[in-house]
Amino acid sequence: MRRLLWIAVLVAFAFIPVLSASAWAAYPEKPVTVICPWGAGGGTDRLARFLADELSKKFGQPFTVVNKTGGAGAVGHAAGAYAPPDGYTITIVTLELATMHWMGLTDLTYEAFDYVAQVNEDPAGVTVRADAPWKTLKELLDDIKANPGKYLFSGVAAGGIWDLARIGMLHAAGIPVDAVKWIPSTTGAAQALTELLGGHIHVVTCSLAEAGPYIKSGQARALAVMADERIPAFPDVPTLKELGINWSAGTWRGVGVPKGTPEEIRKKLEDAVVEIANSEAFKKFMETNGFGIKIRRGEEFRKFVEEQDKAWKTVLELGGYLKKK
Amino acid sequence: MSYFFEILSPDVIFPLFLAMTFGIFVGAMPGLTATMAVALIIPLTYYMKPIAGLAMVIGVSFTAIFAGDIPATFLRIPGTPASGAATLDGFEMCKKGKAQLALTLDLFCSAIGGIIGVLILIMIAPPLAKAALSFTNFEYFWLGIFGLSMAAVLSRGNTVKGLLSALFGLLISTIGIDVSTGYPRFTFGIMDLMDGVSFIPAMIGLFGISEVLKKLSLGEKMELPSVKVDTRLKVWEALRTMFKYKFIILRSALIGTFIGALPGSGADIAAWVSYGVEKNMARDEIGTGSPRGVIAPTSANNAAIGGSWIPALSLGLPGDSITAIVLGAMLMYGLKPGPLIFTESKELVYQLFAVAVLVQILLLPAGWIGIRVFSYLVSLRMGVVMAAVVLFSIIGSYALRNSYFDVGLMMFFGLLGYAMERINMPIAPMVLALILGRMIEDNLRVGLIKTDGSYLPFFTRPISLALFIFIVLSLAGPYIFSFVRELKKKASD
Repeated sequence: MRRLLWIAVLVAFAFIPVLSASAWAAYPEKPVTVICPWGAGGGTDRLARFLADELSKKFGQPFTVVNKTGGAGAVGHAAGAYAPPDGYTITIVTLELATMHWMGLTDLTYEAFDYVAQVNEDPAGVTVRADAPWKTLKELLDDIKANPGKYLFSGVAAGGIWDLARIGMLHAAGIPVDAVKWIPSTTGAAQALTELLGGHIHVVTCSLAEAGPYIKSGQARALAVMADERIPAFPDVPTLKELGINWSAGTWRGVGVPKGTPEEIRKKLEDAVVEIANSEAFKKFMETNGFGIKIRRGEEFRKFVEEQDKAWKTVLELGGYLKKK
Repeated sequence: MSYFFEILSPDVIFPLFLAMTFGIFVGAMPGLTATMAVALIIPLTYYMKPIAGLAMVIGVSFTAIFAGDIPATFLRIPGTPASGAATLDGFEMCKKGKAQLALTLDLFCSAIGGIIGVLILIMIAPPLAKAALSFTNFEYFWLGIFGLSMAAVLSRGNTVKGLLSALFGLLISTIGIDVSTGYPRFTFGIMDLMDGVSFIPAMIGLFGISEVLKKLSLGEKMELPSVKVDTRLKVWEALRTMFKYKFIILRSALIGTFIGALPGSGADIAAWVSYGVEKNMARDEIGTGSPRGVIAPTSANNAAIGGSWIPALSLGLPGDSITAIVLGAMLMYGLKPGPLIFTESKELVYQLFAVAVLVQILLLPAGWIGIRVFSYLVSLRMGVVMAAVVLFSIIGSYALRNSYFDVGLMMFFGLLGYAMERINMPIAPMVLALILGRMIEDNLRVGLIKTDGSYLPFFTRPISLALFIFIVLSLAGPYIFSFVRELKKKASD
């Protein structure tokens, strides 16, 4: 009996190299978990579910979205980064990956991931009420210079992306960052826009994608977009660069896998995600959601995240959010 | 007219029916919330007509909010956060063997509350939404304080322990990232605490697990039925009671609709506030299993769901977490929620209103089935039911954000709730403080940022001042009345 057991074990060992070699070729052989670090029903979740659906169709294995929320995105990103690097856990990584460790919220940095591809980028805007007195960004900035401390800006909690976008813009325009007050909003852009429409604050710096419905319905107006080029959904809104302010900022989303995932698998996912991102269905999905498309392949995406990590450090320091180590 | 009949076509009515069945299940399961149900349903609706998708969302949200009251009544576990206030008198009635009366009242009041909320949505949505927009941090602060003052009302007769319970709840609510500075507080480096103690696992533990522990420690017979259920629905008795308390239903539904319409508060706060208003008026009777204590919160929470659509439709601003998801979905359907929707998609808006009314009527049979199924389940042996409660408490707290940490948190709060009840410390004030602590603190601090540290606007803005005076009167009122009565008595002597 014992000998039989030994033989069985040996035979099992003999199969291991065969199995693992074929594992890469045949990936995926079992369901894949897609971690979304943000709540169900939100923008990142909608994107995650769309990608998961398309990946399931493409690979013939279910890709299931799991919302792991908490810690301002830190919980989900960590769960994705520390999962086994076998390609069976992929993560929708978002901009917070490049900011939260500077604020001391987590030890996790961008280096814990290998990068599959970026699919989205939404630049920050400068949005005011439809009946606000400023017709151009210059009028607004001049008014701020003349009346420091008078105007209230909002968009997200303190130290969140739209706060950082605001800090960067004021800094690049040569205005002290404390010339306006930041009103933290607990639930993000929706709450800030509610306050804006209610006339309780003056400017919201959330993405034009989020402010879009209110701009289109005539309740709000965009003065500028913080992007390198004008965005297709709002061709009339000038960029900061056109107005002589050298600053661009925005949120982005992409797909990452834990560091050390076999290159064959990463590449296979990269090709699939990029193909999906170039499809008509994806374009339509992003357009109806008001999201911008920006595709960067693995290596380029990694470099981009690295640059972002450095850029945000400077801005966080300006805002006083940098945690001294 | 033909577009009204469209909502009765099978491709709308059938998904609606499925959604309502799903709503009963989700609502009655502790930990699964109406918001989660809507998030799960939305991806299915992308392949349907917009009105079918919206019908499903409306169906699932109203039914889930009602169904949350079923386990609240039978087992003292709120199925959704909006049923927190329904655990009080509902469960007391159940202990007196009047579970069916409580749930029949609950079902009727939910439907009537829902209809009142929807009618207000239909009639005065745009002006009411404008009024709701005038609320900002100063007003939300007072609203939160008013809700919290209910902690004192709830612990009447046991004031010191009740207030300690509330204070402990407030302390727990300070855990997590501070929104106004971005720094984590009291998290001890635990990442799962960064967003604060998740409210739902805490609530399941405090109400549900603590009850299981209590039953075990009291040595109750595990082979007897867990709840003695009178089988028939008490329709006539319920209708008579409702007629007697018709103004309570109306008042609670109006409060519920307005609180629901405020973008900064939802059905859970609506239920607590209307419960508190009635408790304040009726003094001691509520809290011991009074029908009034069932009618008030259950009329208000369903009305609040209607209310939350008011800013969503007329301004495109979410009134709660459900409408926040719906707004995203409406963009996917190619609709533009906001002032223009009433002209651009007039037919759809009318269909939506019709569906919302229809859902209230269909809630009666759907809710009846839910009550019957649940009555059967809780009439099983106590041992089976309690094991199931523990199982579903674990699943429910895990499912919220796929976190084992939350399961541990639920267990911790279960032990805490048990310990508190052992020393006769009421749990409800702590739950109230957990719901409202963040709202009060954030709004106070953000308000102070806006005013450079001046407290003046909290008292000089018209609505703030009105709320402040209302709070003072509601707390001091009973004492002033009895003082005046005393004076009169002396004068006449």
